[in-house]
Amino acid sequence: MIRYVQQVEALVRKDLLLELRTWDRLSAMGAFAVLVAVLFHYAVDRTLIHPRELAAGLIWLTIVFGGILGLGRTFALEEEDGAIQGILTSPVPKDAVFLAKVTGNFVLLGLLVLLILFVFGLFFQVGLGGNPFALFGVLSLGVLGFTALGTLYSGVTVRSRMGETLLPVLVFPLLVPMVVFGVRGTSLLFAGVSGAEVEGSLRILGSFSLVALLAGAFLFRFVVED
Amino acid sequence: MSSPPARPAEGPSRESPAEGERTSSLEAHALVRAFGPIRAVDGVSFELLPGELLTVFGPNGAGKSTLLNLLAGALQPSEGEIRMGGRLRSHGEVEWRQQVGILSHQTFLYGHLTAEENLRFYGRLFGVDQIEDRIHERLSAVEMDHRKDDLVRTFSRGMRQRLSLARALLHDPAIVLLDEPYTGLDVHAAALLRDLLSSLKDGRRTVVLVTHDLTQGLDLADRVAIQVRGRFEFFGSSVELPSGPPDAFYRSVVEGVLGGAGGAP
Amino acid sequence: MSLKTIRWGAGIAGVLGVGLALLFHWQVFFWVPTEASMGIVQRIFYVHVPAAWVGFFAFFIVALCSAVYLWLGEERLDIAAVSAAEGGILFTTIVLISGPLWAKLAWGTWWTWEPRLTLTLLLWFIYVGYFLVRSSSENERTGRRLAAVVGIVGALNIPLIHMSVLWFRSLHPQPVVLRTDGPSLHPDMLVTLMTALASFTLVFLAIFLVRYGAERLERELRAHDSARESGKGVPV
Ligand SMILES: Nc1ncnc2c1ncn2[C@@H]1O[C@H](COP(=O)(O)OP(=O)(O)OP(=O)(O)O)[C@@H](O)[C@H]1O
Ligand SMILES: [Mg+2]
Repeated sequence: MIRYVQQVEALVRKDLLLELRTWDRLSAMGAFAVLVAVLFHYAVDRTLIHPRELAAGLIWLTIVFGGILGLGRTFALEEEDGAIQGILTSPVPKDAVFLAKVTGNFVLLGLLVLLILFVFGLFFQVGLGGNPFALFGVLSLGVLGFTALGTLYSGVTVRSRMGETLLPVLVFPLLVPMVVFGVRGTSLLFAGVSGAEVEGSLRILGSFSLVALLAGAFLFRFVVED
Repeated sequence: MSSPPARPAEGPSRESPAEGERTSSLEAHALVRAFGPIRAVDGVSFELLPGELLTVFGPNGAGKSTLLNLLAGALQPSEGEIRMGGRLRSHGEVEWRQQVGILSHQTFLYGHLTAEENLRFYGRLFGVDQIEDRIHERLSAVEMDHRKDDLVRTFSRGMRQRLSLARALLHDPAIVLLDEPYTGLDVHAAALLRDLLSSLKDGRRTVVLVTHDLTQGLDLADRVAIQVRGRFEFFGSSVELPSGPPDAFYRSVVEGVLGGAGGAP
Repeated sequence: MSLKTIRWGAGIAGVLGVGLALLFHWQVFFWVPTEASMGIVQRIFYVHVPAAWVGFFAFFIVALCSAVYLWLGEERLDIAAVSAAEGGILFTTIVLISGPLWAKLAWGTWWTWEPRLTLTLLLWFIYVGYFLVRSSSENERTGRRLAAVVGIVGALNIPLIHMSVLWFRSLHPQPVVLRTDGPSLHPDMLVTLMTALASFTLVFLAIFLVRYGAERLERELRAHDSARESGKGVPV
């Protein structure tokens, strides 16, 4: 068990270190988030509707599109000189590899979400509502499931000729629960309701994440093994 | 072609080896790995004792790398079984991989990490004790300690090969698998590798070496195999090799299967 | 199952299925009473609903066979999964064509975000992903395993997706067959629906068996061919 945690930690640390060295995914996702917000400004006619009223939906869509950009590159650095083979021939269980990849990606997407909230606050005066903890819960539970699905499927798409273009086709149909209840929870909280009123959303987002995590941890071996 | 002149492992494989007998360290039985229609490894059987070094020769595409990947636990066999010290690979994949070190065609190194960081990463995956001492020891064994803080992407081909060798041996594996380890090494490094190989023959470890260089390959070999089209067309102890120039024998075995067009190994 | 049994099974299921199809078309056009509130349009229901049932049933088979395939590695289960998926995508396509027709005539709009129709659309895309993964993988063996993963994960998410779309909006007529107080359909309507369901199920079974037999034969032939010229390597 301790061994397992150490291995996961070594993998996560390596991924984050590589990300800090290269900034490949962070820079792409960050730029994407800011630019999308700029485009939203011109896409919404302010005489009819203020972007703030659409904020919850726009934020989640930016998370989805920006996130898929980063998730699709999960195994890109591993492909270089067969490093993934090095991990697969080491005594690390496949589920540990999966959980480590999810953890690293979750940190990355977490940073993306913070940036998105900041940018929407700056551009469209979207506040955090009265209950930042519940908001944090809704965002992180939704993003966790998304990360787990995206990580599993990015393992699928690296082995496909179509590569990253296939990823949205596989992942988006499964994101409906996340978008429905993520947007609902977020917009309620932006409107200033108490944490108790988003409990239902939290519960469903929690099941969504749990299903994605368990399925991924269990099925990942069939994705990477030969 | 239907009956290859290979000498397979003697006797059927045993569940638990008899007491007092020298147990085989690495054992393959009727091992097959197919990629779609191609049978890259096609019914390979052999048995190696602790301390033995097996050299596998064979033309390109014979399935040598595939065989090593099967032994390393990176590929699932289509048929057949592999054992280490009598234990089936399928009975504990994680424990199996703990005992194996592989140097493959690819280095498994991250270009954006330094030499030391790469080794530390793999050391932690393998749960190596006193990791910093081991890293230092391995780096100096391949004479790379002066570059330990440089990013691997700035290394030359041979330097990466050296570092990859240090990576493969970091956790002191009982089974060492080397796929063309001499690739890219200069004369000095090749001598270094040769010394390292002979130091690996300490009686505890089993080494499988794949190479195209007959002289380097036969130098330390206890056992020799010639693999053609997935099969071991020859498998025997190195003293059983017929007298005469080894490349003539190699060529006759390979041409016996493929016919005509012989070439350098 | 021998190929001969499969062929017979497919033949019988096909003949029965088509026979019942003729019967239920006659029922739909000449026999069944017209529904009061929606009028003649409601007759699309007898195609739409059974097709949806069969489409989802097929996906259940895909997921089940995929899971056992990953577990046992038995190639026939993969053949069964892909055959079911082919049938399934056909029937979900029928749903997606008949749904908008009905919607246009009944509500004056081609598309409604009716939960079950939306769910079928999403299921259709999961099927598409299943086939894309299978056909675009680096080698066939990998493609089968990856497709199996896609099938299983899709099936695991279907209940949550269903719940979400249901919660989000339901404009559609409420379920009329599976109600606790017994079916509210006119008995003749129920008979027609059941005939259609039996017909679609049999046609699906026939398609499934034909595809299963053909795919198995193809793979056996290919294995046979490659066994003859096995170990093709680079000449020295
Ligand atoms: N991942 C793979 N997918 C499909 N075929 C493969 C794969 N790996 C190897 N093969 C096939 O298996 C056969 C053996 O390949 P392998 O790499 O084991 O040969 P080798 O003996 O190591 O050759 P070389 O001397 O060139 O390194 C080849 O015909 C190759 O095309
Ligand atoms: Mg090779």
